[in-house]
Amino acid sequence: MLLKVENLTKRFGGLVAVSDVSFGIEKGEIIGIFGPNGSGKTTLLNLLAGLLPPTAGRVFWKGQDIAGARPNVIASMGVIKTFQNPQLFSELSVFEHVMIASFLAFTRMKDHSRLSSFLSPGRGEATLRTRAEKALTLCRLQDSLTKPAAELSYGEEKMLGVAMAMMCEPELLLLDEPASGLGNDEIQNLENVLRDLRAHGTTLCIIDHKVAFLAKFADQAIALQQGCKIAEGRPNDVLADPGVVKAYLGRSHHA
Amino acid sequence: MKTLLFLIPLYLLPLAVQSDVVLTILIFTFVLGILAIGFNIVFGGAGQLTMFHAAAFGIGSYVTFLSMLRFAIPFWLGFLVAVVIVIIVSIVIGWICFKFRLKEFYFAVVTLAFAELCRLVVLNWTSVTNGTLGMLVLEKPTIWIPGGGVVRIEQTVPWYFLTLICLTGVLIFSVLLTRSWIGRNFSAIRLNEDLAQTLGINTFRYKLLAFTISNVIAAFAGALYGFYTGYIEPSYLAVAQSLDAIAMVLLGGVSTILGPVVGALVLTSLPHLIELPAEMRVAVYGMILILVILLMRRGIVGLAAGLLKGRVNAA
Repeated sequence: MLLKVENLTKRFGGLVAVSDVSFGIEKGEIIGIFGPNGSGKTTLLNLLAGLLPPTAGRVFWKGQDIAGARPNVIASMGVIKTFQNPQLFSELSVFEHVMIASFLAFTRMKDHSRLSSFLSPGRGEATLRTRAEKALTLCRLQDSLTKPAAELSYGEEKMLGVAMAMMCEPELLLLDEPASGLGNDEIQNLENVLRDLRAHGTTLCIIDHKVAFLAKFADQAIALQQGCKIAEGRPNDVLADPGVVKAYLGRSHHA
Repeated sequence: MKTLLFLIPLYLLPLAVQSDVVLTILIFTFVLGILAIGFNIVFGGAGQLTMFHAAAFGIGSYVTFLSMLRFAIPFWLGFLVAVVIVIIVSIVIGWICFKFRLKEFYFAVVTLAFAELCRLVVLNWTSVTNGTLGMLVLEKPTIWIPGGGVVRIEQTVPWYFLTLICLTGVLIFSVLLTRSWIGRNFSAIRLNEDLAQTLGINTFRYKLLAFTISNVIAAFAGALYGFYTGYIEPSYLAVAQSLDAIAMVLLGGVSTILGPVVGALVLTSLPHLIELPAEMRVAVYGMILILVILLMRRGIVGLAAGLLKGRVNAA
């Protein structure tokens, strides 16, 4: 098991945002986490990525407890998170963004030392540049390489976030509502990118409140409500679960 | 690297200009420019508003001089002792500040407090530093010239070349740094520290590195300054010295390569160019500073780059 979450809890004062959640993610699978707004999805991802320290519970990555570790430590282990509202280095160009994001890939390259790259900045960059261009093409940003990120549309900003995450060579990619705010055409493109990632062996954990988007992809689904896990299993089974139906529609659904 | 070609005319200048005043102003420009480059690395690069650079500047001059006296070693070895001490001090102070996640004004205030602490130590440790009176520095740096043997740097023209060579070295270092992975990670921290962390950048380590590098460069400027003026006093570590370097960087252009040097040139030469009674001069000087900073957000270099780009686009 790649990632194992045990009794994870996060309290903000009196509010329990994530309550005693446990689940596991197997290598290569796509897991969808859904639930209404405020059900604790984003908090859960932030706990996994180290952006928040958990109040209680444990997170095991390949058997090692990473709960409470700093975000950069978790990222360097191969767990990368994208943001629901795109986070950018706004004044830099699109290409500079992906180059910053290739830092982890760079530290993993063994054929040259960091000192030599300091003395001649060109070395080692060629490989990364090719990869950056590939990631940007896949995310349909190939025509905006020199554009400052501040000039991108919302959808493009989100895809830039995905491109940056790809450059980090994640083993597990945590996506926070990747499809929200995207047009139909952009969602189609996002689906292609996620399929490509999966084909290359990346494990994906996607949260979204759009059930339809997740149901198409996910191998496993988890439903959250008010911070608690209320259902888990094959996506269609979870969607048919009476508790989930009730949480979404506010009452049980009599067909 | 091409931007550094502007240094070539400076190497030829003493052939045309023999005026001691002009060369002296340029020597001060080069030395204070080095201090400003140091500040620009930590502020313009990694976005950390430090107020410690004057203290590093002062420690650089005091430790270099005192270790020369105590151990009877040449200037450069004395400076090496200063580097070691500044690195240790930077790591301790940086570690405290960054572990407590101090940012912006909180970081500025705490580094200022540490700088004042250093100044008070220098001021009150009279048996070693001679307190308020400061110390007369009669020693001079020596360099080895192929064919000429070991030479003491005493006259204006040798000082001009020594400080220009040092400035060139520091500028080349800052260009390499900015373009390297380290520089890229610095800008990631300045623009969005949380995002930088989720991309796997150890922001604590890189902030500490930026702070340390900047202080070592400031110490270098301090050592040159003390030995050029021949006098070392506690005011080298004072807030005013830090503010001067900040003004130079803002005026010249934050996050630009040449900005700190241009700012240093303007601020060192301006007082000599305004031919007014002393009290008026300070007022006019202050006003120019305020106007320039208000009207040119990216400083002189930023404005010039913008104009050049505009002309290219129009053509």
